[in-house]
Amino acid sequence: MYAIQTVGLTKRYRTIPALESLSIEVREGEIFGFLGPNGAGKSTTIRLLLGFLHPTAGQGRVLGLDIVKDSVAVRRRLGYLPGGIALYDTLTGKQQLDYLAELNGRPPRRRAELCERLELSETTLERRVRDYSRGMRQKIGIVQALQHDPDLAILDEPSEGLDPLMQRAFYDILEQLKAEGRTIFFSSHVLSEVERVCDRVAIIRRGRLVAVEDIAGLLAKRRRNVVMRFDGPPPSLERVPGVSNVDTRDGRLTCGVDGDIGPFLAAIAGSRVTDLTIEPARLEEAFLELYEETREEKPA
Amino acid sequence: MNGALFRHTWHSQRIRLALVSFGLLVWGSLLPFIYATFGSRFKSLLESGLLPQQFARFGGGDVFTLSGSVALSLIHPIPMILTSVFAVGFSANAIAGERQRGTLEVVLARPLARRSLYFTLLISTFGFIAIAIAMVLAGNILGSTLSGVLAELPLRRMPLVWLNGVLLFGSFAAIGLALSSSFDRAAPAIGWTLGIVVVMYVLEVLGSLWPDAEFLQPYSLFHYLKPRAVLTGGAQAFDFALLATVIVVAMAWAIAVFPRRDLAAPI
Repeated sequence: MYAIQTVGLTKRYRTIPALESLSIEVREGEIFGFLGPNGAGKSTTIRLLLGFLHPTAGQGRVLGLDIVKDSVAVRRRLGYLPGGIALYDTLTGKQQLDYLAELNGRPPRRRAELCERLELSETTLERRVRDYSRGMRQKIGIVQALQHDPDLAILDEPSEGLDPLMQRAFYDILEQLKAEGRTIFFSSHVLSEVERVCDRVAIIRRGRLVAVEDIAGLLAKRRRNVVMRFDGPPPSLERVPGVSNVDTRDGRLTCGVDGDIGPFLAAIAGSRVTDLTIEPARLEEAFLELYEETREEKPA
Repeated sequence: MNGALFRHTWHSQRIRLALVSFGLLVWGSLLPFIYATFGSRFKSLLESGLLPQQFARFGGGDVFTLSGSVALSLIHPIPMILTSVFAVGFSANAIAGERQRGTLEVVLARPLARRSLYFTLLISTFGFIAIAIAMVLAGNILGSTLSGVLAELPLRRMPLVWLNGVLLFGSFAAIGLALSSSFDRAAPAIGWTLGIVVVMYVLEVLGSLWPDAEFLQPYSLFHYLKPRAVLTGGAQAFDFALLATVIVVAMAWAIAVFPRRDLAAPI
């Protein structure tokens, strides 16, 4: 069974498409990244899964339950962190968490552990939310989403407002949840964090799914930037599979290498290489390349 | 109905409810005192022709009789404003305000059906109004007791006056909550609800003070609040039924619209 499964899920506002025929499958126990720029359709997808929006066409199932017919049952089993969470300013952090836990109808058995890891002290929780910084609000948002130990957590831009130390603590929490078999659906436009924590990623653009990839697969497809210095004649790379944009001047060669790096290494084996830099794979580049490809295929 | 939301709603409104209740209690006790102290003098003035006869007809209330004082204690602008804190302010803001602030999606991300949320808020609003009206009438009884005119007050008919008042302000609250469930922002919901209440109030008062405008009164829901008639044994089931019908229609609207609405991301 999939934690999330959508088939042709579509949302249009009158004639304006917000999401076009989205079909994705999120496996149980994985951290699934949902990537795209602002306005791509990430929040629309999440709101459809939560029953806030009604699909124009298509179907969706969360934890085996229909997102329209069984919306309340779906929400009983998940935790949700909205992007830029709004809280009740007149309540203290503790009152806020108590109220939301009571609405969940499940005991907040993870709260103490989450508060400790996110450094939310008792004193902090006794303060009113209106006195909280943005980072502290986000921590409360994370705790309220996960305190009742949901089977599936849907997190919209979860690390926004967290300092690097807290981001690391948050990633550790996600790793632990995954190890315990929980599923995380993770929307973000911060590629580095998706690269760090996610198993697979779906990329969405203008309401359409561009790709669903393993992070490792996406990185393997990316173009590596190579810079090398050499003594003597430069290696001939023009006809080597996967190599492009070769530029040689003053004993320095730069090029791009796509896919399997083996042919490139074989081609330079006979040259006297004095220095070689292969830039580490970054998801940003793979992501941008994928976007460029889509743009070329379907001009807007 | 959801217990956690119900408790949260009452907890968040407790100070406002206490202040409004106290204000209405004081106001309610004042009018029997005015009646007992100055009622006969006002009546003499009215009969002498120095005061216009319309003075005795303001919204069906006056200070020349105890039943008129009870009516005035409900229809005067002061109790109107105080009760509207819940009948208009709370009801119209309850859903649209949470939606505008973004807290509605945090609540609805829980296993809470929209209908359940609506009914919890509706019941809470009716609870606030029921207490507010009860405080006015409790004030009437207190004022009558302290002024020594309690014997003139038909106490066994007071629950019916209370019901009449709750149905009137409850109908405004039901309209407010229906509008609140239909808008994404609080301002239009509050504006429309307040507009309806003010227009109806003007129609009723205008019709009561100016004979040529009497035909406007049946178009106002205030026309169906008749404490004096209830206290003097002239209660009509139609008045109660009409107010109850307005509540049912507003509820039907909200139940039909709210669960089917798309709740897009807050702006």
